Amino acid sequence: MAQKKGSLKLRQSLIGYSFIAPNFLGFAIFILFPVIFTIILSVMNWDGFNAMTFAGFANFRAIFRDRVFKSAFWLTLLYVVFTVALTLLASLALACVLNRKIKGRDVFRSAIFFPYVASMIAIGAVWKQLFESNYGPINMALRAIGISNPPGWFASTDWAIWGVIVVAIWKFMGYYMLIYLAGLQDIPVQLYEAATLDGATGWQKFRKITLPMLTPSTFFVFMMLTINSFKSFDLIYALTMGGPGTSTTLLANYIYNQTFVYWDYGKSAAASIILFIIVLGVTIVQFRGEKKFTDYL
Amino acid sequence: MMIEKRSPVKTVLLYIVLALLTVITLLPLLWMVSASFKLSSEVFSFPIKWIPETWHWENYVKIWQKINLATYTMNSFKLSIIITLIQLLTSSFAAYGFSKCRFPGRNVLFLAYVATIAIPWQVYMLPQYVMMQKMHLIDTHISIILLQSFTAFGVFLLRQFYITIPDELLEAARIDGLSEYGTFARIVLPLTKPAMATLTIMSFVTVWNDYMGPMIYFNSDRLKTIQLGIQLFVGQYSAEYGLIMATSVMAIIPVLVVFLAFQRFFVEGIASSGLKG
Amino acid sequence: MKKFIVLSLVALMAISSVFAGGPKEKAADNGVTTLTFAVWDYTQNAYLSKAIEAFEAANPDVKIEVQDSPAADYITKLNTQLNGGSDVDLFLIKEADKTKTFYDRGQLADLTPYVEAAGVDMSAYNGTDANFTFDGKLYAMPLRTDQYVLFYNKDLFDAAGVPYPDNDMTWAEFEELAGKLTQGEGATKKYGAYFHSWNACVQNWGVQDGKHSIMSGDYEFFKPYYEMVLRMQEAGSCMSFAQIQASGLSYTDVFSQGLAAMLPMGSWLIQTMASRTVSGETSVNWGVAVVPHAEDVPNGYTVGATTPICINNASAKKDAAWRFVEFISGPEGAQIMAENGQVPALVGEGYLETYAAAPGMPEGVMDGLYATHISPDRPAMDKVTQIDQMLLAEHQLILLGEQTVDEGIANMNRNYAEIMAE
Repeated sequence: MAQKKGSLKLRQSLIGYSFIAPNFLGFAIFILFPVIFTIILSVMNWDGFNAMTFAGFANFRAIFRDRVFKSAFWLTLLYVVFTVALTLLASLALACVLNRKIKGRDVFRSAIFFPYVASMIAIGAVWKQLFESNYGPINMALRAIGISNPPGWFASTDWAIWGVIVVAIWKFMGYYMLIYLAGLQDIPVQLYEAATLDGATGWQKFRKITLPMLTPSTFFVFMMLTINSFKSFDLIYALTMGGPGTSTTLLANYIYNQTFVYWDYGKSAAASIILFIIVLGVTIVQFRGEKKFTDYL
Repeated sequence: MMIEKRSPVKTVLLYIVLALLTVITLLPLLWMVSASFKLSSEVFSFPIKWIPETWHWENYVKIWQKINLATYTMNSFKLSIIITLIQLLTSSFAAYGFSKCRFPGRNVLFLAYVATIAIPWQVYMLPQYVMMQKMHLIDTHISIILLQSFTAFGVFLLRQFYITIPDELLEAARIDGLSEYGTFARIVLPLTKPAMATLTIMSFVTVWNDYMGPMIYFNSDRLKTIQLGIQLFVGQYSAEYGLIMATSVMAIIPVLVVFLAFQRFFVEGIASSGLKG
Repeated sequence: MKKFIVLSLVALMAISSVFAGGPKEKAADNGVTTLTFAVWDYTQNAYLSKAIEAFEAANPDVKIEVQDSPAADYITKLNTQLNGGSDVDLFLIKEADKTKTFYDRGQLADLTPYVEAAGVDMSAYNGTDANFTFDGKLYAMPLRTDQYVLFYNKDLFDAAGVPYPDNDMTWAEFEELAGKLTQGEGATKKYGAYFHSWNACVQNWGVQDGKHSIMSGDYEFFKPYYEMVLRMQEAGSCMSFAQIQASGLSYTDVFSQGLAAMLPMGSWLIQTMASRTVSGETSVNWGVAVVPHAEDVPNGYTVGATTPICINNASAKKDAAWRFVEFISGPEGAQIMAENGQVPALVGEGYLETYAAAPGMPEGVMDGLYATHISPDRPAMDKVTQIDQMLLAEHQLILLGEQTVDEGIANMNRNYAEIMAE
């Protein structure tokens, strides 16, 4: 009996491995292996070509001493907190609205997804002018509603990051809306029907059915948003190039510069490891929460 | 069902908000289209001139003559379609394994998947390149296909949808005599069409818009993609912005077509009706 | 399920068809050596294809295979290829200051024995080879040179009734002249001068004297030029930094749309302006003069950059590669460059005359290119890229008025010390 149970377990495991094998093989060779290499690299000195030498924590010490890294670290936290929270809310709201049978739904969905695929040159050109401090429409509007001294946006070290956050939300909300839209399709209609019979209001249904049922989507959106906010550098490249000064130089730009501009592989690996550890932590916390969700199902 | 009476005021307000949002999100599209009919020296001006003084329709002819746009477009289609197919296939398999099968090391392996997403690609680009060089795959389409088909993203995305499927449903299928593979193909796949649609759109867009990968790996002109083609109009000291924008407008059409075709899977209520009949 | 199987089969077939193609076969070498040559903007730089054509005609046993990359990412790709062990034999270095890094890694072939054997007279390169000489040995041949000159809009000078700049002007005279040339308001305002947003477009005037460089470490010498540009921004005689950033305008657009009367800029713009003149994209009447200089700096002192050509130290075909290097950086290559709108690094009879005779060139280009000393804008030294980026960040803050000139210079000095101490 015990033997049979054991072989059943083995069989189950083998079936499980067979499902992940095709993807895992490719993943292990082409992604996991290079990533492990990067982790090793963070404690090495390497010019990219000749033999490596062991550096201990010198790379980490170097980035923690680096003024630009320190500023990038705190700026990134600020950027991540606001971008993640606001994009998540915006994409959820948009998905709920655009899941309804309203006229022109396809057009609205496409329009809101569009910023994600728009040419970076176009995004840069349009938003830089919208935010222009003297004659830009945003500041004109602010003056019209009585704010006599509107912010300088991309021409100001205090405001540039907020401008970037606005554009980031604008750019990414349509992308994450897609995930929520797909998630909404998974909620059984019967749940809503039963709730309607019980006389629940729209808001109650949203709180008690939609939100809990979307938990896995929210985890995904939250994780991907966080990771991508830590990683995306091209939007900033198109808007401010990390300036003025270093006021919009985020971790991603820092890593980009270390890798592609300064060719300092040890430092770029070390900076990525910091990011890696943060994401690992968030993932583990997410796992805990997800367990609760599957129990709830 | 969900059809509720809404006050007309609320409906009108909703449309106004949506219309405003649409205007803001479509500004860059307007800018791109407008710029695509201009001379490159007119593209940037302050303030923006939304309507070109003279319409340079010839930009849309020039882009096909000046570069091998047809080849590049074909290559972009080839890579985007192949990579998206492999992603859909292998990711859905792996996602099922990670969500509905039990085996030792499952959580650790999945953690490895998710954590690798955190490392920026630029940082591990060099070891990848060395590997491809050793395999003699530089300057081939296979290099990019191998590098981009097995991303953790697809597995992670699909797994999040698979875990919402109640285990009882699968249990019932197994009792009916379906093998694990049969359960996956007959129960899980049909239930997660919206998720597959999402992954299709996202994977297609990512590969279609990728620039750095093809830039590093492709040397020969016959292999280049549309995003590399656009860069041919950007020189060290000057860029032909009119042509860049004309090509960009052309390049965005397939993406929007794919989006429109697959967003139709997000139809309220349909997918769920199969559940618990 | 059926659909899924069909889909899988299609995918498999697609994959196998790709693999069947396989990597490209290298052509069999029947006595012909094929060299891979990494370049950027191949189609825009006609001199490259013409030089290769001429070289191959004279050397039938060598074939040059060009590998073209986008300009913006050329150095990234080249770096990856050299590190990744790719079979590039010859390459240009776009950011010449990176030559030092390639040298440090041992990726550049020592050209000294070849130069000596061929008897090349290095003094004919006007000192530009110094930037590529490490430990007394030459690792790259200077190919083409760009230098900062002053572009001016003759129409705006005529409209203001001011004589065109002569080829010997001080920065003080320049500032005064800019005030006289500024006309109009709002969107149609014509600025007397335009300093592009790069840090080079202010800091160069401090480097110009040949004594200082951006690696000097004590940046007090930038002060007069920051004060000058800030004064001009305040007076409205040059476009403000904030507006340049917001509009997304390129210096080429500003000048070819006739928005600025004077533009200190690299000589690479001459070729762009000439072709815009020929194609009718600009109707501006323009000229080129020697860039202004400080009171105590001799006329003809300017800043520039030299693009070098190198041989990959890992190449198995160095001898053949050197033949091409010798050709393109020598008199024949120089002549081809001059004919195609490039200023060769090689100084010699007739090149500049040939260059100035190209279609679309204004009168007096040759006089405008007069130079007695060209300081490298970014010397090939360790950490020059980091320092340059740091200087750019402080530069922006000064010009936006977020910090005073003194604060900015103090920060530059402090950051320099921190970066170099690492």
